[in-house]
Amino acid sequence: MVLEACSKSSDATPTTTSDATTTGTTTTTGSCVVTPTEVEGPYPYPGGESTNPLFRSDVTGGQTGVPLTLSFIVVNTNSNCNVVTSARVDIWHCNKDGYYSGYGSQTGGTSGLATSYIGETWLRGYQTTDSAGIAKFITIFPGWYQGRATHIHMEVFVGGVLKKTAQVAFDKATADTVHTSSLYKAHGINTTLNASDGIFGNSATDLANETLVLTGNITDGYVGTYTIGIAL
Amino acid sequence: MALALIKLTYKHVIDALAQADFERNIFHASYQEFKMKSQAYNLNGEMHTFTEMKAKDGRANSMHYKISFSALHFLIPLNKKIPALTDTLGKQLEYDSAVFELIESDTTQIKAHRVGIKFITGTYVLHQIIGNNLVLSAEDVLNEGGVFTETFTLTMQPNMAVTSYREISKQVAPNVLNNSFNNN
Repeated sequence: MVLEACSKSSDATPTTTSDATTTGTTTTTGSCVVTPTEVEGPYPYPGGESTNPLFRSDVTGGQTGVPLTLSFIVVNTNSNCNVVTSARVDIWHCNKDGYYSGYGSQTGGTSGLATSYIGETWLRGYQTTDSAGIAKFITIFPGWYQGRATHIHMEVFVGGVLKKTAQVAFDKATADTVHTSSLYKAHGINTTLNASDGIFGNSATDLANETLVLTGNITDGYVGTYTIGIAL
Repeated sequence: MALALIKLTYKHVIDALAQADFERNIFHASYQEFKMKSQAYNLNGEMHTFTEMKAKDGRANSMHYKISFSALHFLIPLNKKIPALTDTLGKQLEYDSAVFELIESDTTQIKAHRVGIKFITGTYVLHQIIGNNLVLSAEDVLNEGGVFTETFTLTMQPNMAVTSYREISKQVAPNVLNNSFNNN
């Protein structure tokens, strides 16, 4: 890219620059410098204040199920377990029948048939942790699909960097109570136990740390808090 | 006579040179989301481009879906009109749905980031093809007989395709009309 220094002199010399640097030349009769070129920053341009629809606490998206309210506290294990604020926590999980939004050809759910929910967005969302390090989600108790213990997926980002990919599990007593209740009973009790699960089953200690502690009941729903420890 | 019912898809590419507000919003938001969500497929940070990540693990294709949420809501100001696609008289076409596609990106340089929005129309009646042009009408004005149908004309162009097609069964004249009538 060739840039010319602004100049009143007829013998001003053009200068050559690259995208990210600047040069200027001056003349005796008037001088100015070429403004540095910097990369365009992020939005918002007009309309940019519109937000990502997944940025939401209530992720139910119309899905029916036993209510589940989860508060995730993100803490820094390298700093006295102090809370981490402004961390982004993404969660996603299957619906009461064992199907995920957004994907086609899913087998292993209640119907036993390849089922598609392409274009749907339910049971997915993210929040940023508040001053108490908490990201709270309003969702439903997950169902289950063939081959996996009941679980919720999560990712944690700090400053745009992925710091944790994890899954949380449910204790069998609570999960069985939910999965035999009216909305879930068509699929029944999960055939995969936590200890037999390919992901949860390889460490009993890890499984204990990954299991949610919930209070509540079918009618009122369940509530729990889970601490996500990350090493920053 | 109408040939077929069709739907069209127009792919609108957005890259670093895009100028319109909705394009820049989509460009920047989807790039930030790519930088975040791609980390799950690039755990040791060795790779930079989407192409590399897909080659290593096909599940990286989930990023078309995952990143779409950061972009599609910026289409709302378009009011369901496809930008930059007009019929031969300059009128914009409307779209029914929009699908996001991550074409390429690079965690180290935003200049390589390139996304596509595939705008999919509703159903049109394809009446005729004249050279490179489609003569179309909205489906609900399909009619037979001698009545004039309101149509518009659209030139086939790059980034546009007929993506859904259903032939309209042709009426066949009954054989009895082909024989002369003998009135004895």
